[in-house]
Amino acid sequence: MNNPLVQPDPGLFIWTIIVFLVLLALLAKYAWGPLLKALEGRQEAIRKALDDAQQAKTELERLQHESAQIIAKARQEADAIITRSRADGEALREELRTKARAEADGIVKNAERQIQAETARAVQQIRHEAADLSVAIASKIIQRNLSKEDNQRLIDETLRQLH
Amino acid sequence: MFALLIQEHSEHAPEHGAAEKFDAGKTLIEHVANSPIDHPLIHLPTIAGIDLSVTKHVFMLWLVAVFVFVVVTATVRAYLRQERLVPSGLMNVIEFVVEYIRDGIARPNVGKKWVHAYTPLLLTFFVFIFCANVIGLIPVFDVLGLLNHYVFQPDEHSFLGSVVHGGTTATANFNVTAALATITFFAIIIAGSRAHGFVQHWINLVPHGLPKAIYVILIPIEIMSMFVKPFALTMRLAANMTGGHIAILAILSFVFVFAEMFSRAIAGIGVGLAVSVPMAVGISALEIIVVLVQAYVFTLLTAVFIGMAIHVHH
Repeated sequence: MNNPLVQPDPGLFIWTIIVFLVLLALLAKYAWGPLLKALEGRQEAIRKALDDAQQAKTELERLQHESAQIIAKARQEADAIITRSRADGEALREELRTKARAEADGIVKNAERQIQAETARAVQQIRHEAADLSVAIASKIIQRNLSKEDNQRLIDETLRQLH
Repeated sequence: MFALLIQEHSEHAPEHGAAEKFDAGKTLIEHVANSPIDHPLIHLPTIAGIDLSVTKHVFMLWLVAVFVFVVVTATVRAYLRQERLVPSGLMNVIEFVVEYIRDGIARPNVGKKWVHAYTPLLLTFFVFIFCANVIGLIPVFDVLGLLNHYVFQPDEHSFLGSVVHGGTTATANFNVTAALATITFFAIIIAGSRAHGFVQHWINLVPHGLPKAIYVILIPIEIMSMFVKPFALTMRLAANMTGGHIAILAILSFVFVFAEMFSRAIAGIGVGLAVSVPMAVGISALEIIVVLVQAYVFTLLTAVFIGMAIHVHH
């Protein structure tokens, strides 16, 4: 035990423990504690900044998506409106055309019918006139005045024969 | 160290006559071991049979602790006083160390829940041991010794005269490393007790649910392991720190051994230039890695042991 390298030295042992514990307490209070807290705070701040950026990015993406959707929807609606109005116009035109055609047809038919009626009446009148005229001429010729009833009967008979 | 060896040699020569041989072993040990307790730097009373006088290694502990506290606290305070927390200079190093120990050592071992509780302890271990190791590589006291010998020339028992004697690496003294390992020892117990309760911590030492006969073997083994852990820490750090210094000193001693062997200074200088200085430079470079690795290993193992007490895997 004469070798100073292996000399037990309780004083040094105690001193080491005292020095170390004092150093630990002082450093923990004045250096490590505040520093670790600051490092943690900085880490937290960085994490938060990154989170915020991520959130902003997501929000932006969402808004972009939304606006694209709105634009697409508006375009679709506009398209629908145009299509619909085009169809409406077409339908209206078709309807008007049909109506006009029907009206025209009606007018033409009416006119035809009127013409036929007029023609028939005129023919009838001409027939009557012709009959009266023939009777007058005949009576004058035969000098025999027939009664009105005989006349009428004769006329009718003649007309029937004419048919 | 080289300079001091010359000084020591010349110092010894006139005292005991020119015939006195250069004793490499004695010189070597004097440069590694603590200064003798009966010639302390500051006399302090003996309390309960323990001489609390300040020897060289106690003085070195103080020096390292004050240095660490002042440098770290000043840097951290200056950093935190800024409006925008932009690290610069030494703060970058401290921040790297702090984040490395927190995220690389503490978190994986003690777990997320306890990382805040044990990071300060691990940080203090690392920084303190590292600085205590490093100061042994810086020949500040050897320069002081030369100044003392050639410029001030005070008597041997003044403070300055005593402070140049003895090794500068406190962590090469196993009393110091044993004390540090004792702190680890209690830290393990405290960590286990805080996580599981005091009684449960001791129950956790052995796996449960085994046949009773096995416990007869297992309990002594676990108790032994409890003491082996800090013992291994003690020996690893002290031996590594002592070994490097002894290697450098032994190689430098060749200069004097050869000078004496051939009774010519030129032989010593030749060996010194050809062998000793290049080898000592190489070993010193290796030592720079060793001081870092040993501080890291001590810190890491402390974290691992604390983690084992918290996360019981049986």
